Amino acid sequence: MVIQALAQESGLGRAPSQRQLWPAGLVLTCAIVLLVVAAGLAAPWLTANSPLDQDLLQINKGPSVDFPLGTDHLGRDVFARLLYGARSTLGISLAGTAIAFAIGAGLGLLALTFGRWPAAVLFTLIDLVRALPGTLLALLLIVGLGTGPGPLILALGISFAPLVAYVTRATYQREAARDYVQAAASFCGGRLHILRRHILPNIAGVLVTQAAIILPRCIVTESVLSFLGVGSSPDAPTWGRMIADSSRFVERAPHAILVPLVSLVLLTLSLSAIGTYLRRHLDPVRGETDGPPEDETQLADLARPSLASA
Amino acid sequence: MARMIAVSASLLRGLLQAAFIVMLTFFLCRVMPGDVVDVLGLEGGLTAEQQAEMRHSLGLDKPLPLQFVDWVGQALTGDFGRSIRFDRPVGDMLGTALPVTAQLAALSFCFGVALALLLAIAATARPSRWLDAVIDFVNTWSIAVPTFCTGVAAILIFSIWLGWLPVIGGLLVPVLVIGIDNAGQIVKSLREELREAVMLPHVRTARAKGLSPWRIAFAHVLPAAMPIVLALSGLVLGGLVAGSLTMEVLFALPGLGSLTLNAIHGRDYPIILAAVTLIAVVLVAINTIVDMLHRLIDPRLA
Repeated sequence: MVIQALAQESGLGRAPSQRQLWPAGLVLTCAIVLLVVAAGLAAPWLTANSPLDQDLLQINKGPSVDFPLGTDHLGRDVFARLLYGARSTLGISLAGTAIAFAIGAGLGLLALTFGRWPAAVLFTLIDLVRALPGTLLALLLIVGLGTGPGPLILALGISFAPLVAYVTRATYQREAARDYVQAAASFCGGRLHILRRHILPNIAGVLVTQAAIILPRCIVTESVLSFLGVGSSPDAPTWGRMIADSSRFVERAPHAILVPLVSLVLLTLSLSAIGTYLRRHLDPVRGETDGPPEDETQLADLARPSLASA
Repeated sequence: MARMIAVSASLLRGLLQAAFIVMLTFFLCRVMPGDVVDVLGLEGGLTAEQQAEMRHSLGLDKPLPLQFVDWVGQALTGDFGRSIRFDRPVGDMLGTALPVTAQLAALSFCFGVALALLLAIAATARPSRWLDAVIDFVNTWSIAVPTFCTGVAAILIFSIWLGWLPVIGGLLVPVLVIGIDNAGQIVKSLREELREAVMLPHVRTARAKGLSPWRIAFAHVLPAAMPIVLALSGLVLGGLVAGSLTMEVLFALPGLGSLTLNAIHGRDYPIILAAVTLIAVVLVAINTIVDMLHRLIDPRLA
């Protein structure tokens, strides 16, 4: 039966879909992301209201002419907060992703290039930190570094750096074993030269894909931290913070929580759909297996250490 | 022999990880701006001398490494100090909070892994586009939707609009939310692993014998993939911690997560330290045990 089913799946099923240049789903997700970016950039021109002004006579009101999406429990304009929130949500998570890559990919690649010992030290350190789940690590870092956008971005970056570092190492090692790299090394190419001219162009696709995968996770983690009360500051509220603030008033003002919640979920869904698409097209080797990237690397760590060292 | 070395190496690694995390937590807790004396001083209007005296009596004016050694020494004898705000032994407070979290985490873990296994096995036994779509959906859901958003939406829909469940109390909603999140994290890799296990020779033999697809999936494919299932369930733990933190806060469950967060907001560092240490040590212990078991079961690894 299974054979039959498999045969059906492989033989009689729909032929592998012709690669459309712009599938409808991709267009939709890109449109959502662009819309959010535009909303964040054009916030001051799209609304006259401030996201922070409180009007305590107008709390938990539904949509009206003055407040297109109603007001929250402090009488703040939900629409204005949504627009300005797009700015801080994207800003903080982009900066967090950048830090994660600076540490994980930048430092990781340098360490890998400069021989066995720097890489061993760096990855031992990462291995020690990794035992702590990302959210808990970020929480602790914010406790230590203090609240505010700077520590928040740094905490997000550091908590995602191990993931980036593992993917970087896996792709680097795959690439470094290839013949053309060996050839370049035998022509006395300097390590940095080989890294820049030969390895980097070939792993760039994987890294870009990884960035697209980390970005929505950064947004999600930031919203969780905001919900726990250690996320973005009140004067630059992210969508996560809006949901967190309104979560105690869900009964009286469901719109104040649904608006940021739906926006956040749409944004993260779109971003991760784009990430999946990129992985399928820019990262063919890993794209085939289609599993979550960190699982693969951790499994590879767990399952094949002896083979690798033998 | 080689196997024993590999097992003890993973034990050593676990110990190192635990030690490193405890150290990290201690120093992060102690460098945080505004310690508990500042917070209490602001609230109670203490004078500068009273604050200095309080710091001295709490041992906060000693050098950090010395404080760390003191704390570890006491912690090893089971004494985690007293909560500065509530003036109760931290050990007692952890003792009351731990069962709540343990129950929540255990139930969510079982539900999540069971759901993931069920989906993956069903997709293996009866491959269908529809099931694969469900698996994709659960996977994307767990990546893109924070657990607390699902929780808030569940409260809004089921308690307020439909009036089915009481808003607060009851573990059903938190367990479902965390469980689905956990299942999403592993279900896709699980599906891939089972897909590969289907190609194994003994599975082909079983199929040639004419066993039913379900029987093959449960009796032949699943055991072959068991070490991977074990390793994958270890990956759920991180999401379990984040999920419990948010669900405890959202549903007002008096567990470790609520305790830790209240302590963070009150700068009650003995509690933060003890709670995070406890969570980290439990996680490291589970991971290490899974790793050691894996090496004991699977001769290829040692």
